[in-house]
Amino acid sequence: MLRPRPVRLLAELDTSGVALRSDELARIERTLGRAPSVVELHAFDAQWSEHCSYKSSRHHLKNLPTTGPRVVLGPAEDSGILHLGEHEGERYGIVIAHESHNHPSQVVPFEGAATGIGGIVRDVVCMGAEVIAVADPLRFGLVDDAQSHQRYVAQTAVDGISAYGNAIGVPNIAGDVYFDERFDDNCLVNVVAMGVVKESEIIHSYAPQGAAGWDIILVGKATDPSGFGGASFSSLTLDAADEESNKGAVQVPDPFLKNVLMRASYAVFGYLRQHNITAGFKDLGAGGIMGCSAEITSAGGYGADIDLDKVNVAIDSLKPEVIAIGETQERLIWVVPPAVTPQILRIYNDDFTLPQIAFNARAVVIGTVTQEKRYVLHYRGETVMNVDIDFLTGSIRDELPYEEIDVAREIVDEAPLVTGVQMDELLERVLSHRDVASREPLYRRYDSVVRGATVLPRGAGDAGVLAPVFGAPLGVALSVAGNPRYGRLNARAAGEHAVYEAVRKSVAVGARPIGLTDCLNFGNPRNPAHLGQFVASIEGLARAAGAFGTPFVSGNVSLYNESAGGNAVPASPIIACVGALTDVSTVVSTSLKQAGSVLYFIGTPQSALGGSVVIDVLGRHDPRLPAIDYDTVVPQHDMLLAAASANVLRAMHSIGNGGLLVALCEMAFPTLRRGIKPIGVQVDDPWQWTHGSVGDIEAFFGESGGFIVEVAAEDVEAFEGIADDIEGVHEIGVTIDQAVLAVDDEAFDLHRLRDMWMKPLREVYP
Amino acid sequence: MSKRIAVLVFPGTNSEEETLRLLRDCGGDAHLVHWSRASLLPKFDAYVLPGGFAYEDRIRAGAIAAHDEMMDYVIEGAREGKLVLGVCNGAQILLEAGLVPGTGEVRRPTAAFTRNGPVPHFICTHVWVKLAIDPARSPITAGLHRNELIPAWAAHGEGRLAADETHLRELDQNGHVAFVYAHPDGHVDASATPNQSALNAAALVNKEGNVLAIMPHPERDGWTFNHPDRRGRHGILEPSGGAVFFRSFVAGVHAR
Repeated sequence: MLRPRPVRLLAELDTSGVALRSDELARIERTLGRAPSVVELHAFDAQWSEHCSYKSSRHHLKNLPTTGPRVVLGPAEDSGILHLGEHEGERYGIVIAHESHNHPSQVVPFEGAATGIGGIVRDVVCMGAEVIAVADPLRFGLVDDAQSHQRYVAQTAVDGISAYGNAIGVPNIAGDVYFDERFDDNCLVNVVAMGVVKESEIIHSYAPQGAAGWDIILVGKATDPSGFGGASFSSLTLDAADEESNKGAVQVPDPFLKNVLMRASYAVFGYLRQHNITAGFKDLGAGGIMGCSAEITSAGGYGADIDLDKVNVAIDSLKPEVIAIGETQERLIWVVPPAVTPQILRIYNDDFTLPQIAFNARAVVIGTVTQEKRYVLHYRGETVMNVDIDFLTGSIRDELPYEEIDVAREIVDEAPLVTGVQMDELLERVLSHRDVASREPLYRRYDSVVRGATVLPRGAGDAGVLAPVFGAPLGVALSVAGNPRYGRLNARAAGEHAVYEAVRKSVAVGARPIGLTDCLNFGNPRNPAHLGQFVASIEGLARAAGAFGTPFVSGNVSLYNESAGGNAVPASPIIACVGALTDVSTVVSTSLKQAGSVLYFIGTPQSALGGSVVIDVLGRHDPRLPAIDYDTVVPQHDMLLAAASANVLRAMHSIGNGGLLVALCEMAFPTLRRGIKPIGVQVDDPWQWTHGSVGDIEAFFGESGGFIVEVAAEDVEAFEGIADDIEGVHEIGVTIDQAVLAVDDEAFDLHRLRDMWMKPLREVYP
Repeated sequence: MSKRIAVLVFPGTNSEEETLRLLRDCGGDAHLVHWSRASLLPKFDAYVLPGGFAYEDRIRAGAIAAHDEMMDYVIEGAREGKLVLGVCNGAQILLEAGLVPGTGEVRRPTAAFTRNGPVPHFICTHVWVKLAIDPARSPITAGLHRNELIPAWAAHGEGRLAADETHLRELDQNGHVAFVYAHPDGHVDASATPNQSALNAAALVNKEGNVLAIMPHPERDGWTFNHPDRRGRHGILEPSGGAVFFRSFVAGVHAR
C-alpha cells in the first residue's frame, strides 16, 4: 500500500495541466514504489504523451512497409535515410523527416509554424547531414472573411515558415495548401526537411558503443520558460477557453541563432570525420533536455546523470522541471568522448561565437553517460529525479477500441454527369476554385533557390528538384500530397490516393520514387470513429506503398486535431515522396516548350467524380472515389521514367485537382510572359480517347490521375516506341503558337483564364 | 601569384557556399572567412559579401553588419582599390557602409535598399538584369557585353532602392546604376521590376567602379542545372547563365 501523495504533487496535478491519466500515474507509483517527484511527474507526462510515445498509434503503424533495397535507415531515429546514388565511389543518402506543428500554429501561427521548420531541420541535422530543402503541406480553414481568425492563421503561418526557412538558408522546394471549413478550428501545418549525407558519415541519435563515462553536451539557446508542457499540449484537444494558457506552451523561434548553430554543427561534423571519432547527436524536441538526453542514452543501452545547474539558462529561478522538460527551441545534445569535448566547445563558443549570437547561447557539458541504466537529475545539490531509464522511455501502449470505417454503399447512377453549365463557365469556376487556383502568391514568399542547387523550384515542376551533391549529376525530387476532399469521404482511399499522388508527382519530373514519409493528422483517438479512420488510412497507405515499392522511412502522428466542440479535421494522411534521378539533365518540367508538339494523356478516364473539384463547384454529390488499378499504373510510371531518361519528353504534368483541362492550362500559363512566345493548346474531342466510356465532364474534369506529356514532333516515333504495349496512352492534341486553349471547336483566351486562376490566393497573399 | 578572393561570412549569412563554389568554378581562388577570423582579411585581394540575413537584418538590412569589424578591412581595401562585390544582403551591407554609391561619408548611407513595394513582403522570383553602364566603367563588369542580359533570382524583402529625388538624379546621371531589371527580351519598364526599386535599379556601383552592389543573385542561376529548360542539356554541371557575371568579376580581380 502506497503512502498518500504529497501535498506538492497534488497541487501540481491540480494546476499544471498535466495530461497523464490516473491509471498511468498509478502505474508510475507502483513501479517507483513511491510517489513521483514534481520533476518526475512532468517527465513522465511528456515521455508518455502520445507525441513522444505513440502509445495508441505505434502498433497500427507497424503495418506500414518500411524495408527495401533503398532503405539505409528506416523509422527508428530522428530521420529516415534513403540511398540516392553513387558518385566517384561514394554512396550518398537522402535524410528525410516529416512532422506537424498543428496545435501551436492554430494558437500562435507565426511562432508555431516557424518552430515547426526549426524542429524538423534539427531532426535532419542531427543525422550528420547538411540540410538541403524543406517542404510545407498546409491545411487551413476557409479564409473568405478577411477579418477571420482563419485568414489570420493562413497568412501568419506562411509568414512564419517564410521568415524561418529563408533566414537559415534552406530552400522551400515543395508544398501544397488546401482550404476547408473542417480546418477552421484546427489548421494543419506539416513540415518536411531533407538533407544529404555520405552514407559512411551518418551520425546516429544514440550513445555509441563504449560511451559509458562520455560527456553529454547541450548546445544552443539558453533554456527559458517557453514551451513548457508542449508535448502534452499537442496531445490534448484545443479548447478556445484555454487559449491564453496554451500560448505559453508554444516555443519561441530564433532562426538567426539556428543559422549559426547549423553552420557550427557542420564544422563539428568536419572535425569528427577528420579525426575518425564516433559520437551521438540528437535534437531536443518534445520533453526538452530530459526527453533528449534520456532517449539518446537509453537507445545506446546506457543511463544518464545530469546536473541541471550546469544548463545555460536565460533567467534565474527557473524551476527544475522547467529546465529539465521545457521545450526551448534551437538546442541539440552531443554524446562525445571527454577528450574531444574542448574542441567541440571551442567550435561552438569561440569559432562561431554562440554566446555573442544570442543571450547566453553556448555549448556546455551538462552530464555524463552512465553504465547503470538509470536516469538521474540533480538540482541545487538535490536529486530531483532518479528512475529506471527504460521505464521512462520504454514503450507504453494503449489498445484503444476503434470502429471499422463504413464506406457508404450508395446506389450510384453510372450515367455521365449532365449539367446545364456551359464549358467555359465550368472551366473558369474550376480554375478559380480555392483548391486549384495558383499557389504562387503563397510560395513566392519562400526562398526556393538558396544554396544554388535548385533545379526545379516551387512551381516549375510537380516536385521540387535539387542537384544535392555538388559536382555530381545526381538529382533528388521532393513532392507532397494529401487531399482532404478525399479524407472526408473515405479515410482508406484517402491514404491510398495520398501515396499515389505523391508518387505521381515524382514521376512527373522524371524522378524514380524511392521512399516516403507520412504525417498522419487525425482527431481524438479516444473516439472510436476517429481511431477507425486512422487505422483505415494506414491500410490504404500500406496498400499503395507496397504496390509502388516505396517504403516509409520516417513519419509522425498528430492526433487530437479536434476542438473542444468535437469538430475533428477530415482524415488527413499527408505524404512526402523522395524521388531519385541518376542524371539530373533528364529532369522534366511542367511548362510547355514549343508549338507543334504532340500532347498525350497517359491514364484511364473514370466516371467516379467523388472528391473532385468539379463536383464541389456544381454542388453535387458522388460518394465514389476513383479506383487505382496498380497493374496499369505501375507500368505507365516505368514507361514515363524511361521516356524521360531518353530525353523525349519536353514537358510533363500529373493530373490532380481540377482534372485534365486544368493540367493543360497549368502547362501553358508559364509561357504567358512578356518577352517569350506564348504556347497554347488544341485538344481533340474527348470521344477520340474515351470512346464514350465516360462523358465530357468526366474526361475534362475527372481526377482519376494520370499525366499529360508534351512530345516534340521529331520525338514522336521514339516516344511511341517506348510507350508501345503500355495501356492508356492517348494522343489528345497539339501545342499551338497562340495563347488559347482550343477544345474541339471552342477557344478560350489563356490570358483571361490565367487571371482567374491567379486571383483567389492573391487576395489572401497580396 | 594568384589573386585571392575572400567570401565573407557574417553571423546570419546564408549564401556563402554557392557563392564560393561559383567563384571557384569561374577560376577564382576563393576562400570563406568567418567573422571570428576578421583579421585575416587584409591578406586577400578582393572581397565578396554573399547573401543572407547578417545580424538578423535588425534595424534595416545590412545596418548592423556595416559596423562589424570585418567591414573595417573591407572599407580599407576598397580605398586601396581592391574589388568588392556584394550580392543581396552583401549589397545591402555595402550601401549601409556607405561604400556604394560612395558619394558620402563611410557608414553614413546616402541611399538604401528598403522594404519591397507595393507589398512589404519577401519575394522569391526569377528575374533578368541588364547592364546599364559602359562595361569598361567598372573592372567588375569589364568582361560583359554592352547591354548584356544576365539571369538571376530576386530573393529579398528589402530590395527597393530609395533615396531623395536629387540624389536619385545624381545616381542616374553619374552612372551609378550598374544593372536594371528587364524583361527576357531586354525591354526595361517598371513591370519587370519586382520590388518598385527606384530607377528600376538592380545594382549600384561606386564612382571609382571597384565596388558593386547587386540585389538579385546571379549565382543561384549560375550552373546549367539551375536552368535545365533554357539551354541545351550539355554540360549540366558547367557554370553558365549568371556565371558570366562572376567570370567578369574574377577576370577583373586577376587584372588588378
